[in-house]
Amino acid sequence: MRIRRSLIDLDDLTAEELAYIFERTGQFEREPPGPLLAGKACVNMFFEESTRTFTSFHLAELQLGANVVDLVPKNLSLATKGESLEDTAITLGALGICVLVVRHSEPGFPQRMALAFDGHVINAGDGVHAHPTQALLDIYTLIEEFGELRGRTVAIVGDVLHSRVAHSTIRGLSRLGASIVLVGPEAFLPSTYAGGQVSVERDLDAVLPNADAVVLLRIQRERFVEIPISDREYIDRFRLDRRRLALLRKEAIIMHPGPYNRGVELDDSVLEFAGWRYARQVQHGVAVRMAVLDLLVNARQ
Amino acid sequence: MKPLLLKGGRIVDPATSLDSLRDLRVRDGRIAEIGEHLDAAADEEIVDARGTVIAPGFIDMHVHLREPGFEEKETIATGTLAAVNGGFTAVACMPNTNPALDDPTVLSALMQTVQREARCRVYPIAAITRGREGREPCDYAELTAAGAVAFSDDGDSVEDADVLRDAALRARPLDAPIVDHCLPEETLVARDVKLCAETGKRWHIAHVSTAAALESIAAARSRGVAVTCEVTPHHLTFTGALVKEAGAAAKVNPPLRTQSDVDALRRGVRDGTIDAFASDHAPHTEQEKSGDFERAAPGFSGLEVAVGAYAAALADLPLLRFVALLSTNPARILKIRGGTLAPKEAADITIFADRPWRVDPAAFASKGKCTPFAGRRLPRRILATIVGGAVRYRAPDWEA
Repeated sequence: MRIRRSLIDLDDLTAEELAYIFERTGQFEREPPGPLLAGKACVNMFFEESTRTFTSFHLAELQLGANVVDLVPKNLSLATKGESLEDTAITLGALGICVLVVRHSEPGFPQRMALAFDGHVINAGDGVHAHPTQALLDIYTLIEEFGELRGRTVAIVGDVLHSRVAHSTIRGLSRLGASIVLVGPEAFLPSTYAGGQVSVERDLDAVLPNADAVVLLRIQRERFVEIPISDREYIDRFRLDRRRLALLRKEAIIMHPGPYNRGVELDDSVLEFAGWRYARQVQHGVAVRMAVLDLLVNARQ
Repeated sequence: MKPLLLKGGRIVDPATSLDSLRDLRVRDGRIAEIGEHLDAAADEEIVDARGTVIAPGFIDMHVHLREPGFEEKETIATGTLAAVNGGFTAVACMPNTNPALDDPTVLSALMQTVQREARCRVYPIAAITRGREGREPCDYAELTAAGAVAFSDDGDSVEDADVLRDAALRARPLDAPIVDHCLPEETLVARDVKLCAETGKRWHIAHVSTAAALESIAAARSRGVAVTCEVTPHHLTFTGALVKEAGAAAKVNPPLRTQSDVDALRRGVRDGTIDAFASDHAPHTEQEKSGDFERAAPGFSGLEVAVGAYAAALADLPLLRFVALLSTNPARILKIRGGTLAPKEAADITIFADRPWRVDPAAFASKGKCTPFAGRRLPRRILATIVGGAVRYRAPDWEA
């Protein structure tokens, strides 16, 4: 089956394409790009709520001069009239839609779209599976900070199991040569992750002094049948607070894909920490997404 | 048996809370590993599973295979072929045969036929009373040793509460639960949950069909009583109005109820009161399902429509729950293997996709062709059924 280029997870990108995205991201941040998507139509189809991802995709498409349509589930025949995913894809293809940005709670939904749609599909988050553009902007934030990532250590703390961002970030960082340490309760860290450059640790205090960057994750309560750890125990063992901040290197940075829960995975002292990069991550979101759109639609294949 | 590598499917395993895109390797009849981008070994068949869902094999814990004694309705061979065509890697078969499954020698003979002819795993449910007559208890320990996974007089209720209490106490040391067919439903379910609480025996209510019965189960569970229950696809879909339309063909036990019962059952699935999907596959000959309503045989052919019919009734049910109801939970209730895709477990796997299809009973492998879903468009279909690493069913039009 021939498919037009889509971005379902980071593995869809070659090393050259990754480099292209990061280079273009830098360019686009220094100088707004021209109308690289002029005359092209982009549809944003979000079946799950979103603030950061939705807004930044929308802005990225507008800044590239695309025509933008936002579809919300209550307006979709797919959700309300029982139109199948495949038929929806055919309809959108017939309308000449060039890019489909899809978020859905089902892992694999954007991939199924890509198999049926004659255009480019960008996965904006599918269940617990993948969230490649968020991973790209996280990795870009790290590159901006450290340059070369080979030999750097990134600790990812918390509910790795249910984090589609962590999943994509781990895949991307391993390819760029970084070491990844996963820290969290056992139930949050599937054993399938360990291996290669990925290790699993239980004691956050032992990990912090060696980390160049710490990525904090939210407990995805909505995806658990039963949360296997009490808030109190989680806070005791894994919350980043003033005492643990003191264990970090001076130049270390802290990231969070958002939304963060104050008092659970971090306390207010983290928000005042010099290396807290949440706002930078969000800012990179628009340029990274412009770079992805440019790559899929314009770059020579 | 060729080793398999299923690439890029959405793997849904409630037992390990996994719901993501992964590759799955099957080797020597077992799940070898699940991971991302597994490389194929030279001897492996690669299956492009993109766009499909890969689940632990479905288990139908309530089917009538009719053998021994009613081979004109169904046999082990036809019933288990229907099972794998419908996505089931295992079924539990009911003891209302002739002779009834009330004796270890009958059970052993059945298991020999199963070994020879079955396409999927078959777990027998033995009778609660001798001859299913509601009087004399069976020897539960011996029946368990011969392979019984539960005890039921299904088709009939055990009317005498003292007999049932005595049976539950005798069977209490064993893992196998009591599975009771309760008719009249509301009275007997209320009685059963009391007996369950009183005896401490694990208890399962077959084919619950009314809002009131469901309420007594929910109330008992909130008090900590170890009672579970199942629901059929037809009770989640149709009301008694169907009888006016279809006559004898719509006859079933328990009967089709009202819309408010259907709504309550759907709520019961969503809120977790209902533990399992079970088709109550009850094949009959065409003659038995036509003519006079009073004289017609109750029951439908269920194995080949169940998965699609449940998906139609509960379109918004999260897949982790859907798979739990069809696989993980039945395995736990019957304490049998399966219900998970964890490495080293037997490779019992069901592959399906949300692709609509139309029900054509003439194409059923089951001898029973009567189903109220005939002609309906159902939203979910089976693409492949793998039992112990062997592909026992593959949809003819699935290119993988």
